[in-house]
Amino acid sequence: MDQTRHQPSAGKFWSWFIPVGRQAGGWAFALNRVTAIGLTFYLFLHLAVLSLLAQGPGSYDKFLALTENPFIKFGEWAVVAAVFLHGLNGIRIILTSFGVGVTRQKQLFYGFMIVAVFVILIFTARMY
Amino acid sequence: MTEKWKITLHVYRQKENEAPHFDNFTLEVNPDEYVLDAVERAWAFHDRTICFRHACHHSTCGACGMRVNGVEKLTCITSIRDVTHNGATLQVEPLRNFPVVSDLAVDMGSLYRKMETVGGRAVLPVTEAEIEKPPSKWEADDSQYIRLSDCIECGLCISACPVAATTPEYLGPAPLAAAQDQGLKRKPELLSIVDSEDGVWRCHSAFECTAVCPSFVDPARRIMNLRTQVVDMRLRKLFGKA
Amino acid sequence: MSQSTSSSYISAPRPGETTWIWLIKIATGPLLILVLILHLIVNHYVGSLPTGLMTYEDVVRYYQNPIIPAIEILFLILVVTHSLIGLRGIILDMNPSRQVLRAVTWFLSLLGVFSVAYGIWLALAIASKGG
Repeated sequence: MDQTRHQPSAGKFWSWFIPVGRQAGGWAFALNRVTAIGLTFYLFLHLAVLSLLAQGPGSYDKFLALTENPFIKFGEWAVVAAVFLHGLNGIRIILTSFGVGVTRQKQLFYGFMIVAVFVILIFTARMY
Repeated sequence: MTEKWKITLHVYRQKENEAPHFDNFTLEVNPDEYVLDAVERAWAFHDRTICFRHACHHSTCGACGMRVNGVEKLTCITSIRDVTHNGATLQVEPLRNFPVVSDLAVDMGSLYRKMETVGGRAVLPVTEAEIEKPPSKWEADDSQYIRLSDCIECGLCISACPVAATTPEYLGPAPLAAAQDQGLKRKPELLSIVDSEDGVWRCHSAFECTAVCPSFVDPARRIMNLRTQVVDMRLRKLFGKA
Repeated sequence: MSQSTSSSYISAPRPGETTWIWLIKIATGPLLILVLILHLIVNHYVGSLPTGLMTYEDVVRYYQNPIIPAIEILFLILVVTHSLIGLRGIILDMNPSRQVLRAVTWFLSLLGVFSVAYGIWLALAIASKGG
């Protein structure tokens, strides 16, 4: 029995994101995980890029010109969207972990996602 | 005159040393019968090698859990009308996250072992059961009245849980709910079992377990409550039970 | 109760996601939300500049106020802690062996310390470029 304990199973990693036969909570979990990975990637990218600031006005302002690229603009939009989705979902997790709203977690999730969509629409309008 | 439907039962088949596949059976059924009845009919009149579990036929024993059209259900109380329509297909598969023994029957041993480890109570005094509308105050001798635990150990929750899909070591919703039911105050030795890597912190709040539980256990709520119990106990230990 | 079967079946608590690590993760969460809102507002809607910080000079001038690098460093510590603990949680769901888990924990801890140190250095460097 002991040899079969904790077999590394990186392959099953993908089953998190395949919400077959899943309901609201399962979707929430997958969404939270995807945004978490995306945001972590962005975090370290952002930190690396900021080193350009230390190199002086020339390189930083040159970099800023790059950010006009529509691909980058989309990336920036995606980051803010991810922040709202992950953050609101996180609040739902904190609430339910301390017993608040457990019987209505589905409504909590839908409610928060509607708020998220609303906020994302607002800042999209302001951004463009 | 009872209604009659014609449906195609799409059954998962897997025998030892064979590749899994699906078999189709065309059946005439009464739509107000249950999915379990349809499986039995296919077994009785079409293919006696279909292997499946069933016992009480009234949602008490927990034997007949299967995935119906991809969703975990207790087939003895799932009416055919609710999951398909006349002329359509009805897909039946075994539960996920348990090894398949044969066709629709899975090895539930891991669940039973875990329930035993946490000392899940099958019967408990009604004063300790979380019933829906308890009196504002229990009388002293009310604890003589006992009640069957809600959990029928059917395994639907474990099949639906995305974390249980990653490892068979995860305690799982039903055992964690049973631990919560015991309570860490009553059984402090449970703390090291549930406050472990395979215990309460592995839950990612997907709430799939509560969504499929046929017996009103609400394991997700119990796991959340167990978390507060664990945090409470750890804080107390840190500050010397102040 | 048969203690021998239970102890061979249930893992002894190994440094998976224990109570304290989880508490830190969910405590940094809401704190992050607060500081993040602050960070977004000031970086994009700073007082006299309706479009926020748009050039190198803007950023340097902005960093002269000592509150700013302080907030940014706090933000960095919170976000690195939250994100790396979460990342470790995701890796735990892949059932790494004991050795791999220890290596991952070490790597993430070092990455975290290094990132915070780098960030503090960067904030102070930018603040010192002005004036």
